[in-house]
Amino acid sequence: MQVKGKGLLKGLGITLKRFFKPKVTVQYPEQRLPLPDRFYGKPEFYYDKCIACNMCVNACPNKVIKLETEAVDKKKVVTRYDFDQQYCLFCGLCQEACPKDAIKFSKDFELTQYNRPDIKIKFVKPEQVEQRKEEIRKAAAEKAAAEAAKAAQEAALKPETADKEGT
Amino acid sequence: MTLKTEEFLLNLGPQHPSTHGVFRILLTLDGETVVKAVPIPGYLHRGIEKLAESRTYTQVIPYTDRLDYLAGMLMNWGYVHAVEKLMNVEVPERAEYIRVIVGELARIASHLVATGAYAADVGGLTGFIYTFRDREDIMDLFEMISGARLTPSYMRVGGVADDIPDGFIDKCRQFLDYFPTALDEYNGLITGNEIFQARTKNVAIISAEKAIEMSLSGPVLRASGVNYDLRKARPYSVYDRFDFEVPVGSKGDCFDRYYLRLLEMEQSAKIIRHALDQLPEGPIKGKVPKVIKPTAGEAYAEIESSKGIMGTYVVSDGSTNPYRVHFRRPSFVNLGYLDEMLKGWKIADAIAILGSIDIVLGEVDA
Repeated sequence: MQVKGKGLLKGLGITLKRFFKPKVTVQYPEQRLPLPDRFYGKPEFYYDKCIACNMCVNACPNKVIKLETEAVDKKKVVTRYDFDQQYCLFCGLCQEACPKDAIKFSKDFELTQYNRPDIKIKFVKPEQVEQRKEEIRKAAAEKAAAEAAKAAQEAALKPETADKEGT
Repeated sequence: MTLKTEEFLLNLGPQHPSTHGVFRILLTLDGETVVKAVPIPGYLHRGIEKLAESRTYTQVIPYTDRLDYLAGMLMNWGYVHAVEKLMNVEVPERAEYIRVIVGELARIASHLVATGAYAADVGGLTGFIYTFRDREDIMDLFEMISGARLTPSYMRVGGVADDIPDGFIDKCRQFLDYFPTALDEYNGLITGNEIFQARTKNVAIISAEKAIEMSLSGPVLRASGVNYDLRKARPYSVYDRFDFEVPVGSKGDCFDRYYLRLLEMEQSAKIIRHALDQLPEGPIKGKVPKVIKPTAGEAYAEIESSKGIMGTYVVSDGSTNPYRVHFRRPSFVNLGYLDEMLKGWKIADAIAILGSIDIVLGEVDA
């Protein structure tokens, strides 16, 4: 230290230089930085993809997900898929566990709510469940009808073949 | 006439910015001089070790993020390292390299906070803003690779969660190319400042013998001139393949502890550069069953985290949940010497001394 305050002046020089450089901050609500694809924001649930395997429920460290099913014609129908966001760690273990990509995290990170009950996301709507049930019933009915038709056809064919064999 | 004086008690914290979190020191003061200092931690205790017992081995990983939340990647690493040792899992080479890259990035990020916060502690808030500006680049890289800035939960037992995304390596190299100029700036702004030097040089000297005796680790130990870095002394992962030096301090005062972190960041950048050059192709996850169920037994593994030696002790009873998890948290152990370090110094020095240990309360209280 030959000259007292030399280091101090150097530091001031650095801040002065910085003053003329472009800003690194972003004016947040108006300007936004792009988010990477792996970002964990608000979760999204794809009802049609879910096979109700319970993998996400078991993968979650905080028991955030509540999954309820109902058996319709031996098929599982998801009747409830509640995601209690306030206990979510946003670790992504549920997304990783899901074999069908039915739960995914979006890039929406503005999750504040005015009322506490609004934090919990109820993904499954009653209409969706009804629709799914209807679909299954319809499919089952169609299948049954097809099978009946097939059986009738076979029954109609059988005497013919028997005849052929007989001749 | 003689003036009658007496000692008085002063609570430093728990709500005080220079305690780096919710930490309380009960100071016994004689005027402005510290006579006795009783550290009272525990305000951020969440019982992570207990929480781990009711979770599966994988589910503990997000909780380790919240130990040293300034270097979550390293905390992940410490934990999975122990579980891997327990299960005898081989980690693929590529995963090891990715771990080294993100681990060293986390070390730089953590040291940047330590450096900046230390400058702010002794009165130079500008330094704080400068280091945080550059830390943001690392946070962006973490967000890219793991989806989160502070709580990455990126490592898994047997490897890492995801492969390196497109553009990560370029961005990482860009940061490494830029970083030396940033270090020059810190040196000009903080290290070279006479006031900073006057506040830190020859303050709270720890001798090498005493440092070993108190089982200090990390930069606090090395600043006292003890050359002990787990990455060199007992290489884990692939650290034996990199060419780097272990910076050592000469005196063991606050300035040495501060300056050592700058030198360590330089070495970390060097390691990352090597790792990026050598990065092999291959799988990122070893052969680990979907449901992790180690046979009954126990394992203790250590890594060199940014604060010191981070050890994890895992006991398995053969079920899917760990029977017991214990973390050896370096900040907590390093804090054990606080009383003796503070004795005889003024209140203002107490802040400078506490800052030089670089504690993170998430880790101290666990």
